[in-house]
Amino acid sequence: MSKSGSITAAGQNLWAKVPKANSELFALTYGSLITELIRDYDQNIPEINNQLDRIGYSIGVRCIDELFAKSEVNGVQIPSCRELRETAEVVAKIGFRMFLGVSCDVGKLTEKSFSLYLSENPLSIFVELPQNEVGVDGSSSHGPDWTQLKYSNVYCGVIRGALEQVNLKVECEFVGDMLQGDDVNEIKVEVKEVIADGAGEDYQEE
Amino acid sequence: MSKSTSILDRPILKPRTDQVSMSAYGYLYSELVQYHQTRASSISELEERLASSGYGVGFKILELLSYRNKDNRRETRIMSILQFISSSVWKSLFGRAADSLEKSIEHTDEYMIFDYNPITSNFVSVNKAVSDAYISGIIGGVLEGAGFTARVSAHSVDIEEGEMKNGLIGMPSRKDKAVFLIKFSEKVLERDAKLDR
Repeated sequence: MSKSGSITAAGQNLWAKVPKANSELFALTYGSLITELIRDYDQNIPEINNQLDRIGYSIGVRCIDELFAKSEVNGVQIPSCRELRETAEVVAKIGFRMFLGVSCDVGKLTEKSFSLYLSENPLSIFVELPQNEVGVDGSSSHGPDWTQLKYSNVYCGVIRGALEQVNLKVECEFVGDMLQGDDVNEIKVEVKEVIADGAGEDYQEE
Repeated sequence: MSKSTSILDRPILKPRTDQVSMSAYGYLYSELVQYHQTRASSISELEERLASSGYGVGFKILELLSYRNKDNRRETRIMSILQFISSSVWKSLFGRAADSLEKSIEHTDEYMIFDYNPITSNFVSVNKAVSDAYISGIIGGVLEGAGFTARVSAHSVDIEEGEMKNGLIGMPSRKDKAVFLIKFSEKVLERDAKLDR
């Protein structure tokens, strides 16, 4: 079996073994979180995007732990990633599959970056973003600019948090959003730095 | 805006069968709790905030289930709306019915829904009732939306020897169960009593 095929199989294998929860409850709960954010941050959209990224980060650092732990317990092998292409495949085919049960594709691969394409987004199944308010004379009014809202920005934080735990400092951006009329959800991941192992000489194994 | 598939064109009648992993929900919910925790100054305020988050979900799920309900029924009696919540709402949100529904013996205006394993406190070790406040909010939202004003609160009660235990696989079984106490307002009770005649 090709390497990419075995990664897909590993993802499906893990997905079959984890306990499940209803996706509608998941979407509605995320929606209520967004509602709280919009209320508490007074419709300050850039700040809401930031907060979502922060929330995602704290989820991501836990996710990756679970991913490794569950694969060990269930005897599913995750190939070690020697190049970015493999890392991207594992995030897409194992990460997204295991936690959300959706498939996700990798594209636009370069040496330092890749894009993840998400055709189904479990967070936004009930969502339609409001249109911007338009003044009587056609000018844009003072309402918030909803086209700036990255509803699913939490994914960016999750990926950033998870990859940081395996020594990859990345920046993520939600560049395509089906809620904003794009054809597909696209998350751009850019590697900034490969962190050297942190432990000093004192801690090194003999 | 020219969207090929607007959300309004997508069918909602068929219940969605797709799922996410329990842990993904756990992470998301824990973030919701932490978010409220940093903004609440006391436990009771935290409970209130979580309940108010659930409240909106309750309204939406009532609307969704009413659309999906094929026989166009509208629940008008206390007992039937409670059964609707503990079976239909529970099944659609948590994949199973609530463990039991009881009427309080001491207070005629109080009803209780029991759940041995609510999803909101699966991964919680202390103050489980606080974490379950979200579900009490959902119940409150459904009831209010259906025209039954009530106060709903979540509690945690130790289970007795010999009672059923059905923990998650791989998790230690729980020593307590969640009780959602529903106290209807007087007007609702009066109306229900009139319908009895």
